[in-house]
Amino acid sequence: MPKSGHPIRTIAVLAAVAAVFAAVAVGAGAAPAKHAGTTISGAGSTFVQPLVSQWIAPLGSAYGYELQYSGVGSGAGVAAITARTVDFGASDAPLTPDQFTACNGCEQIPWALGATSIVYNLSGVKNLLHMDGPTLAQIFMGQITTWNDPAIAKLNPGVSLPSTKITIAHRSDNSGTTFNFTDYLSSVSPSWKSQIGSGVAVNWPVGSGGKGSSGLAAIVSQTPGAIGYVDIAYALHNHLSYFAMKNKSGKFATPGLRGMLSAAQTQVTPNADNSLSIVNPPAKFANAYPISTYTYVIVPLQTSKAADIKKFLFWAVTKGQTYGPKLLFEPLPTPVLVVAEKAIAKIHS
Amino acid sequence: MTTLDLTEATRRPFTGRRVRFGDVSLQVVAGTAAAAATVLVGLIVWKVIDGARPAIAHYGIAFVTRIAWNPVLGHEVYGAGSFLFGTAITSLFALLLAAPLAMGIALFLSELSPRWLRAPVTALVETLAAVPSVVIGLWGILVLGPALRTHIESWLHSGLGFIPLFGTPSPAGASIFTAIIVLTIMILPIVSSISRELFLGVPHELKEGALALGTTRWEMVKGVVFPYSRGGIAAALILGLGRALGEAIAVTQVIGGGVFIHWSIFDGGDTLASKIAASYQGSSTNLQTASLVYLALILLVFSLAANLSAQLIVRRVARKHGITRGGHA
Repeated sequence: MPKSGHPIRTIAVLAAVAAVFAAVAVGAGAAPAKHAGTTISGAGSTFVQPLVSQWIAPLGSAYGYELQYSGVGSGAGVAAITARTVDFGASDAPLTPDQFTACNGCEQIPWALGATSIVYNLSGVKNLLHMDGPTLAQIFMGQITTWNDPAIAKLNPGVSLPSTKITIAHRSDNSGTTFNFTDYLSSVSPSWKSQIGSGVAVNWPVGSGGKGSSGLAAIVSQTPGAIGYVDIAYALHNHLSYFAMKNKSGKFATPGLRGMLSAAQTQVTPNADNSLSIVNPPAKFANAYPISTYTYVIVPLQTSKAADIKKFLFWAVTKGQTYGPKLLFEPLPTPVLVVAEKAIAKIHS
Repeated sequence: MTTLDLTEATRRPFTGRRVRFGDVSLQVVAGTAAAAATVLVGLIVWKVIDGARPAIAHYGIAFVTRIAWNPVLGHEVYGAGSFLFGTAITSLFALLLAAPLAMGIALFLSELSPRWLRAPVTALVETLAAVPSVVIGLWGILVLGPALRTHIESWLHSGLGFIPLFGTPSPAGASIFTAIIVLTIMILPIVSSISRELFLGVPHELKEGALALGTTRWEMVKGVVFPYSRGGIAAALILGLGRALGEAIAVTQVIGGGVFIHWSIFDGGDTLASKIAASYQGSSTNLQTASLVYLALILLVFSLAANLSAQLIVRRVARKHGITRGGHA
C-alpha cells in the first residue's frame, strides 16, 4: 500500500510544480504583451528621485516607455551602472577618475539643477535663520557647539537663540549631497579644505551618521538642536526648517529657483567630463544660493538600447525639465542643455 | 520496524535496477550539493583575498591596527583599527547582556513556566528571530535610540559617569550603546531557543533524581541542567557571537558612524560589517574598494575563528563531560 502511494504522490507533486512553472511562464509571457513599450531602468541619487518620479506617466503616454527608478543613493547608482544592472545611473557627484575607468565607457550628463538645504531642529525658533559659510564650517568641525554662540547670534540679530547643544548629523553612506555640501565648505573655509576636504564621504570630525536622506532626516527631526543637510525638495516635503545662506554678495539667499538660476551663472560651460561646480558663486551673482548643484545621469556610450535611451534622455533634458520648478529643480540653462544634447547624441549601439 | 526493514532489504535484488538508479541519483545529488558548498566557500575566500590584494600590497599588515579612514581624494588613508574595536566592543557587550537573559528565558520555558504558557511564549521568542534586521534597525532609529538616550543613557551617566564607559549621553540616540542593545535583541532568540532545546534534552531521570534527593529547583538547575548542557550553551553563545560580528544593516542604521576609538559607549562608531555596508556601493577609488574588501577579509577570518572555536569547545566539553558525568553517578 505505501509503495503504490509514493509514485502517485510524486506525480502529484511534480504536476503541482509543473503547474506553478506553467503559470509563471504564462505570466511572464503575458507581461510584455500587456505593456507593449520598452522598460528603461535606472538607479541612484535620492536627490533627483522626486523629479524622475514625475516623468513616469508622461514618458509612458509619449513613447510608451516604462520608466523604473530606484532612489538607492548616488554611490549605489554608480555601482549599479558600473555593473550594468540598470540602463542608467544617477549621481549628484561627478564620477572620480577611478569610477570612470571602472564604468568602462560611460559618460555623465548634467540633467537637473537643484540645491542642498541646511536643516535644523530648534523648537520655537523661526524658519530661515541666517547662516554663513565660515560659521557653518566651524559648526561642522566641532568648534561652535551651542546655538547661542556669538557667531550665530551675530548673523541673527533680534532672534533669541537657545543655549541648546548643537548635534551634527551627516550621511554615513556615499552620497552626492555630501559631495555638494563638502564641496561648498571647502570653498568657503581654507581649514575645512586642508583638514577634511570634499567627497561623497569624508572623515567627519564630529557628529552622528544617518543612512540615506531619510536616516539623516530622522536624526535631525528627533534631536533638539540638530543640524544636517538634505536636498531642498526633501526638506520641504518633510517640513524641516532650513537656513537662508549668506552668499558672496552678502545677501542671505534661500534655496529657491531664483537662487539656483543665479548660481548656475558661475559656470556655464561644463568641463571636459561634463561636470560643473557652482558652489559659492562670485559676488556679482547677487541672488545666488551658494550650495546649488547639478546632478548627473550616467550612461554607457554603447548600449543595445541606444535608440530608446537617447529618446528618453532628450525628452528628460527638454520636456522633462518643465516638471522641475514645482519640486524646486531649476530647468537646465541653455549652454548646459546644448552640451547635454551633444553628449546624448554620442550614445550608440 | 526492524523486521519490515529487513524484508524490504531482502526484496531489493529483485527490483535492483530501479533501486540502484535511486541510490546512484541520491549519491550524485547529495555529493554535488556537498561539493558545491565546499567549492563556494573556497571561491568566496579566494575572491575576498583577491579583491583585497591591492590594499594588502599597499598597506600590508599595518592596515589591521591603523585607526584611520579617509576616502577624500588626496587625503586617502585607510585602516581597520577603529572598526575592529567597534566590532569587538559591540559583539562582546551584546553577548554579555544576551547570555543571562537567554538563560533565563530558556530555563523559564523548559523548567519553570506553567505548561499552557510554554507554546505561546516559545513561539513569540522565535518570532523575534524572524524579524528582518532592517526592521529592527528602523525601530532602533525611531524608537529605541531616542528612548535609550533620554532614559537609560542619562541615568547611567549620572549614576556611573565616573566609569569612562558611561560618558556624556549621545545627543542623537545613534551610538555604540544603541547598537549593543539592537544586537542583544537580535542574538537573544538564537541563544535562548538553542538553550531551551538543550535543557529539555536533559534526561528526566537526572532532574527527578536530583529533586528526589531533596535539592531545590535552583540546585537542580545548577547541579544537573547546567553541567549537562554546558558544551551546547558555549556553542550557542558562539553562534550568537557570530551573528553579532557579521550583522551589518541594523548596526549601520543605529551606530552613528565615526573613525575614532573612545571609551564611552554613548559615542558613535562603526563595526567592520557596518563600514562595509555603508561604504562599499559607489566607493570613489580603487584603493578604497580594496580596503573595504580587506575589512571583509578580516571579518571573514574572525567569523571562521569563532566557528572553529565553537566546534572545538563543543568537542572538548563533550569529552570531559562524558567523564565527569560518569564520576558523578
